[in-house]
Amino acid sequence: MAVTNISPKKKKLDEQNVYLPSIAVIERIIEETPSVRTMHFNFKDEKLRKKFVFESGQFAELSVFGIGEATFCISSSPTRNDHLECTVNRVGLVTNALHRLGVGAEIGFRGPYGNSFPLELMRGKNLVFVGGGIGLAPLRSVIFNVLDNRNKYGKINIIDGARTPADLCFKYDLDSWQQDKSIDVSITVDKGDENWTGMEGFVPAVLEQVAPSASDAIAIVCGPPIMIRFTFPVLEKLGFSPEQIITTLEKRMKCGIGKCGRCNIGNIYVCRDGPVFTYAQMKNFISDEY
Amino acid sequence: MTIKKISKKDMVKLLADWGLDSTVLIPSRDEGVIEMAEWDGKDISFLEWYRNTVIPPKSSFLPPMEEMFTFQKNGNGYSIEVSAEQRKRIIFGIRPCDAKAIAILDKVFMDSCEDPYYVSKRKNTMLIGLGCNKPYDSCFCTSSGLSPTESADVDLMFTDIGDDFLIEEITDEGEELLATAGAVKKASQADVASLKKARAAVEGMVTRKVDTKNIIEKLQASFGDSDYWEKAADKCISCGVCTLLCPTCYCFDICDELTKKHGARYRGWDSCGFSIYTKMPMENPREEKWRRVRQKVCHKYEFFPMNYGVIACTGCGRCIRSCPVNWDITHVLGSVPVEQPIKNR
Repeated sequence: MAVTNISPKKKKLDEQNVYLPSIAVIERIIEETPSVRTMHFNFKDEKLRKKFVFESGQFAELSVFGIGEATFCISSSPTRNDHLECTVNRVGLVTNALHRLGVGAEIGFRGPYGNSFPLELMRGKNLVFVGGGIGLAPLRSVIFNVLDNRNKYGKINIIDGARTPADLCFKYDLDSWQQDKSIDVSITVDKGDENWTGMEGFVPAVLEQVAPSASDAIAIVCGPPIMIRFTFPVLEKLGFSPEQIITTLEKRMKCGIGKCGRCNIGNIYVCRDGPVFTYAQMKNFISDEY
Repeated sequence: MTIKKISKKDMVKLLADWGLDSTVLIPSRDEGVIEMAEWDGKDISFLEWYRNTVIPPKSSFLPPMEEMFTFQKNGNGYSIEVSAEQRKRIIFGIRPCDAKAIAILDKVFMDSCEDPYYVSKRKNTMLIGLGCNKPYDSCFCTSSGLSPTESADVDLMFTDIGDDFLIEEITDEGEELLATAGAVKKASQADVASLKKARAAVEGMVTRKVDTKNIIEKLQASFGDSDYWEKAADKCISCGVCTLLCPTCYCFDICDELTKKHGARYRGWDSCGFSIYTKMPMENPREEKWRRVRQKVCHKYEFFPMNYGVIACTGCGRCIRSCPVNWDITHVLGSVPVEQPIKNR
């Protein structure tokens, strides 16, 4: 029933220089919101395209040559592997540079790094996905993964929200999930506009209204820190134990391989030991700096 | 282990022999800043004035700034080039504390996910230790379980016994390095006796002590005591010098530089003392100064030992000597409140 501890990946990385990026070419750009875009890309090297594997929840270091590297989760699913996707919020130096690129531009890619969502442990369970804003990006990878193996999982509940209708990411996915009779989808915005006919209210409040059963269920949460902080208590109130709650942590990172130091929380390195953790694991962190 | 000896007069010859197929680095003064730098083939006056380097020897393995690779823009695309060549090097004069620091860095950079830049330098570099004869007041290596004159983390260990150096062969590679050196003789019983005497004398000069017993547990218990940490961080000005000059601090940044068509990716030292180090768009987990000071202390004495089984502080005292406001890690460690209630968890 409870998800046991999610362990870090122990696999040895490739013998080659771990800091060398592979060249990837942008194939398509979807402007999600005024400040968020999803980039579809593929490796320039055909052999690498075939060889490359990753799991939902893992992340990568993307670089714009001459500007620098930044960390992004892979927002596409390994079950749909004709290309990779990363979703980029324009907030800093590298993300602004990524927003200036067009189709055909070449970027650097290092990864995949980190552990992944525990699909084995999620098998046969009812799943509750709680997302907020761009936090849907890592969830989207695992949601597709689950939908592409629909019969292996129980009930699926997706609760997603954003500040305004214009801030909702992946509207096309939300639409298609809403059409899907095999899943329950609730979409909310903090404040609607004149065209908005959906729910209004913060994600944790909507979660409480929807009140998915905790029985034989696992909740997977990702969103801004403030949303996560208010979502965990609601899930606990609904009967979810900390072992049944999974999230993926965001930290500033540079190396992605547990060396450069900045994603350190106590003795944990989010890049090396995470980024996916259960709430139970987080409660055992010896630091409160997350 | 056979102990050998060499007359100080023959040191130029020995270093010159080594210099035939390796680059020899020795403690050097450049505008007052002492660091390991390439020997000019003549000058060994450092034997007179050298106490320890200002810039720790980690800079020979994890340089303050290093090029990782270059890239070139061709039309829409990029090609990447790495220069992998690494010369053979011999570092002479590393102190036992700093040799231990390299062994500590090995745990990070030579783990299952090897850091190619560090590893290529490390595998091509021999460490020749030189025991201290005049430790600083700020030194506290003996509290980190080290000795100012003994080391297992070098290839050869030199100890000053007056007119001669006694040499211990620590590794096979070190032994080989002496095999062809003409000026090296076998040490006598009397020499070994003076070695022991010299050691005891220097060890007694390290008077600063830190009680590291149960330090992990103590720091864990007081982690949430923000009052204590605020006090401990009070005078810190977040200049980062204690981390940059720390021989075991290894935090780094990665950044790019680009002219029109050519560019390079570099990595350079960074510091958990800077608030921007952990800054994210939405929030910063270590915005407050006391959190950063706590991170620095706890990483060395709590988190690193939990992960790697060894305290990441060698007691070299550089952080004490270099601090512009006299922040002192030994005072902070010495006053960790043991039985405070855990707050802020």
